[in-house]
Amino acid sequence: MSELNVVGKSVKRYDALEKVTGKAPFVYDMFLPDMLWAKVLRSPYPHAKIIKIDTTEAEKLPGVVGILTAADLPKTNHGAGLIDEPTMAIDRVRFVGEPVVAVAAESEDIAQEALTLIDVEYEELPGVFDPEIAMQTNPPSIIHPDLRSYSFSPVVPPAFDDDKPNVYNHYKIRHGNLEAGFQQADVVIENRFTTAMMQHCQMEPHVAVARAEVNGDITVWTSAQTIYGIKQMLCDALQMSSSKVRVIVPYVGGGYGGKVEIKTEAIAVGLAMKTRRPVRFAFTREEVFTSASVRHPSVIYVKDGVKKDGTLVAREVKVILNGGAYSAYGYLTVRNASFGAVGTYKVPNFKLDSYGVYTNLPIGGAFRGFGSNQVCWAIECQMDRIADHLNIDPVELRRKNLLSEGEINVSGETTHSYGTKECLEKVVEEIGYNQPKGESKGPWKRGRGIGLANKYSIAPTSSCAIIKLHDDGYVELRTSADEMGQGSRTVLAQIAAEEFNVEFDKVKVVAGDTLITPYDQGSISSRTTYNTGNAVRLACEDAKRQLFKQAAKKLEAPPEKLETANGRVFVKGSPDRSIAFGDLFIPTMFASGKVLKQGAELLGKATWYQFASAEDKETGQGTRVVAFYIHGATGAEVEVNEETGEVRVIKAVSAFDMGKAINPELCEQQIEGGIGMGIGAALYEEMAFDNGAVLNPNFMDYKIPTSREIPGPSNVKSFIVEANHPDGPFGAKGIGEGVTISVGPAIQAAINDAVGIRLGDMPMTRERVFQALSRKKA
Amino acid sequence: MKYPLKLHVNQRTYNLEVYPSQNLRDVLREELGLTGTKEGCSTGNCGACTVIMNGMSVKSCLILALQADGKEILTVEGLSTNGQLHPLQESFIDKQAVQCGYCTPGMLMSAKALLDQNPNPTEEEVRDGLHGNICRCTGYVKIVEAVLDAAEKIGQ
Repeated sequence: MSELNVVGKSVKRYDALEKVTGKAPFVYDMFLPDMLWAKVLRSPYPHAKIIKIDTTEAEKLPGVVGILTAADLPKTNHGAGLIDEPTMAIDRVRFVGEPVVAVAAESEDIAQEALTLIDVEYEELPGVFDPEIAMQTNPPSIIHPDLRSYSFSPVVPPAFDDDKPNVYNHYKIRHGNLEAGFQQADVVIENRFTTAMMQHCQMEPHVAVARAEVNGDITVWTSAQTIYGIKQMLCDALQMSSSKVRVIVPYVGGGYGGKVEIKTEAIAVGLAMKTRRPVRFAFTREEVFTSASVRHPSVIYVKDGVKKDGTLVAREVKVILNGGAYSAYGYLTVRNASFGAVGTYKVPNFKLDSYGVYTNLPIGGAFRGFGSNQVCWAIECQMDRIADHLNIDPVELRRKNLLSEGEINVSGETTHSYGTKECLEKVVEEIGYNQPKGESKGPWKRGRGIGLANKYSIAPTSSCAIIKLHDDGYVELRTSADEMGQGSRTVLAQIAAEEFNVEFDKVKVVAGDTLITPYDQGSISSRTTYNTGNAVRLACEDAKRQLFKQAAKKLEAPPEKLETANGRVFVKGSPDRSIAFGDLFIPTMFASGKVLKQGAELLGKATWYQFASAEDKETGQGTRVVAFYIHGATGAEVEVNEETGEVRVIKAVSAFDMGKAINPELCEQQIEGGIGMGIGAALYEEMAFDNGAVLNPNFMDYKIPTSREIPGPSNVKSFIVEANHPDGPFGAKGIGEGVTISVGPAIQAAINDAVGIRLGDMPMTRERVFQALSRKKA
Repeated sequence: MKYPLKLHVNQRTYNLEVYPSQNLRDVLREELGLTGTKEGCSTGNCGACTVIMNGMSVKSCLILALQADGKEILTVEGLSTNGQLHPLQESFIDKQAVQCGYCTPGMLMSAKALLDQNPNPTEEEVRDGLHGNICRCTGYVKIVEAVLDAAEKIGQ
C-alpha cells in the first residue's frame, strides 16, 4: 500500500468545535415556532386488556390541541424484523410504560395535566417476567396470541417453536458431533450464568420533532442512529409511502444501540398530522428507563467437554434472552448473540440454541455488543472455571483453544483477520499478569484478571455514499451515517481526503437528511467504518473517473494517466501539467457562479453491498455469515473489600484488533469509552422491577459510573492491533462494540484473583460479592 | 402569574417575566435560546445543565429561575471571548475529549469552576471535581487529560 496522508492519522474531530462551543445541533434543543408539546399516558399494568379509554375531560382542558390513541392510527404494526409492535397500544398492553394515549398541548405543563384527566379502564391479565417460565409449553400468559400471523423480514426470518408459544425466535448452530465430542472428554463442566437488564442512558433522551407539511408530506427531526430504519418503521407504522416521509438526524447525544426504533417519532407525527402544527415529543429520563429499549437480561447454560490438558472437545450452549413485550431488534439479537460463542475459540463439536422470549417487561433491543456481551460473559467465565478445575492458568487455557487464521469456526466460516492472540499477549504484558500482586491494605485485597471478546458485524448489509467536487477544490461527502459520538463524520471524511489526496479540512460532510443523503443501514453493529467507508471509497473512485474524463482533454493525456491532489488534477509523473478542479468549470453570465459544460456536476456515487451466504436454518452453517469479527482482550486490576464486598477498578488495559485504525485517537476513544461502559455493566447497572414496574428509573437509583469509578488516564491504557481485513477500507473493520464485552469477564477474573470467589451473575454488585464472600467463609 | 426576573447571562442583561415554577435551565434554553446548556435528567444527577452562577458551578435544573435574579450566570456560550476559545475548549479539541458532545458543555463548565478554584489540580482532584457530570461515551479518560492540559496552559 502506498503511503497514507490522512488515513491512519489522529486528525481532530470534525465535530469538536461545534460541540465545545455549545453550537452543535441536537433535536432535544429544537423548539419550532407554533410548536406543541406532547406527553404520553402509559400503561400502569404489565399485562392487561384495555376496556375503555375516555378522553372527554382532557379535551376540555384549555390549551389541549390534540389527543391521539391507536384508534387514530392505521391498525398496523412495525418492528425491526418481526412486525409485532403497535405505535400505541391496541386493545391490550404488554408492559408497564407502553404508550396508550398521547396529548399535544400549548405547553409541557398543560400536556402533563391533561394526562391526569384521561380515564382508561383495564382488565388485568397474568404477567410473566421470568423468561424460563415464559418459555414453558404452558406459560401463565401467552403474550402475543397472534404471533404466527405477524409478517417478518424475508432476509433473516425468525424461527418459532411449536411447544414454546412465547418464543419469538429460536436460532440454532450445529457443528461436528456433540455426543461423540462429550465421549472424548475427560471432564464435563456445566454452569449457569446470568446478566441483568441495562439501560443505555444516552445523555440526550429520545426525542422527535415532527411537522406535517401542507402537501401531506411529513418532516421529522429525531435523535436516532438508523435514519433510514426510522424512516421505514414510520412508513410501516403510519402506512405512508416513502417519498412522503423526510427524516433528519443532526448530531445524536449518544446511541449505543438504543436509538434504532421509533419510540417518539410515530407519536409526534401522528399528533402533528392531527393538529396540523409542529409537535415536539421528548422523553423524560424516567421514560427512557420505562419505555425505550434495554439490554436483554439473559440466562445462559454452558456445558463443556474438555481433555485433561485443557483442549475443548465439545461445547453445548443454551442462551435465553428475556425479550420483553415486543421483539424489536431483539429478533435479530437472538441470532447474533450466538456469534459470541463463535468468533474466539476452536470447538470441534458444538451445539447452540438461542431463544428470544416475550415477557411483560420493557423491550429488549440493540445495546452495544448486541448479545455478544451476554454470551461472551458466560463463555469467558466458563473458561475460568475449566481452568480452576484442571488447575491450568486461565490465560494458558485460552492460548490452547484459540482459533487460528484460516481455521473453520463453528459457523462454518473461515477465520481471517484474527488478532486475538496479539491482543491477549499485549494485555498479559501490560496489566502485569505475571507480576507479583500489589500489597493488600487492611480489608482491601488486590487481584488481576483477563477477559477476551469478539464482536461480529452484520451481513448482508449496505451503505451508499455520494461525492460532489466543488469548483474551489473542496470534496463534499453526502452520507447517512449517523454521528452519535463515534466519530463517523471524521473517519469518513478522512477516507475521502485520502482518496482525493487533499487536506482533511478540504472535505465537507453533509449528513443525516433522507431528502439529500443516500441510503445507509445505520450506525449499528460497529459497521460504519467498514461499510460506509467502503461506499465512500467507491464513490470517490466514481467521481475521479468523471473528473479525469473531463480533465483528459485539457491536459492532453488519457484519463488512466491522471491523478489528483490538493484540488487539482495532475498528469502522473509530471507535476507541471495540472489543472485546478475550478478550471474545468466555465463562468456564467453576470456573477452567477460557474458551471460544467457537460454533466451538470461532478458527482460520484456508489453502493457497498456486503454479501452474506444464507446459513442453513437447522445448523447455522454458512460460508459468510458475518461481515467481520473484531477481536480483543481486556485486563483489569481490582481491589476488593473483604468485609463489605465493594470492588474498585484500579487499572484497566485493553488491546483491540480493528483491522486498521483510520484515526488512532478515535479508536482510543472507543476503547476507553468501552472500558467505562463495561465497568458499569460489570459492577453497578441493573434495572430492578416490582410486578413489571421499574423501581430505579433515574440516575439516583440506577448508578452509572462517574469519573470516580473509572480509573484516570494514568491507569487506563488502550492498544491498537491491526489485523488488516482484506475487504475493509484500508484494511479497517470496526471497533465500537468490542471492548465493553471483555470488561466484565476481566473484572470477574480479577475479583477471583483477589479474594477467591467465582461470580456468575453480572453485575457483580457489592451485595453479590458480599454474599459470595460469606458463602466462602461458611 | 409571572414575576419579573433580571438575569445577567454571559455579560448581557435580560429583563424577563417567568413563572415561579420555571427552572433556570428552561429559561436559558427556551426563553433565551441558549441551548448549549443541555437537559439530561431534571434531577440534578447528570450535570448536562451545569452553568456557573456567581462563580459556583450549579445544576441549572435545580435552580429556580427566580433564585437567579440579579446573579451573574456563565454558560458555555460565554466561555469563549472575542472569538477566542477558552483554553479548556482548546484542550477538549486537542485531547479528543469530545464524543457525542451532549455532556460537553456541562463538563466544560464544571471544569472551569474547578480550575478557577484549584488552578493546578492533580489527576485525582480532576476526577473528583467532575464526578457530578455523567459522560456515557468517553470513560472520562480524555476529559480528565484535557482538563489537566488546560490547567497547564492557563498556568503558563
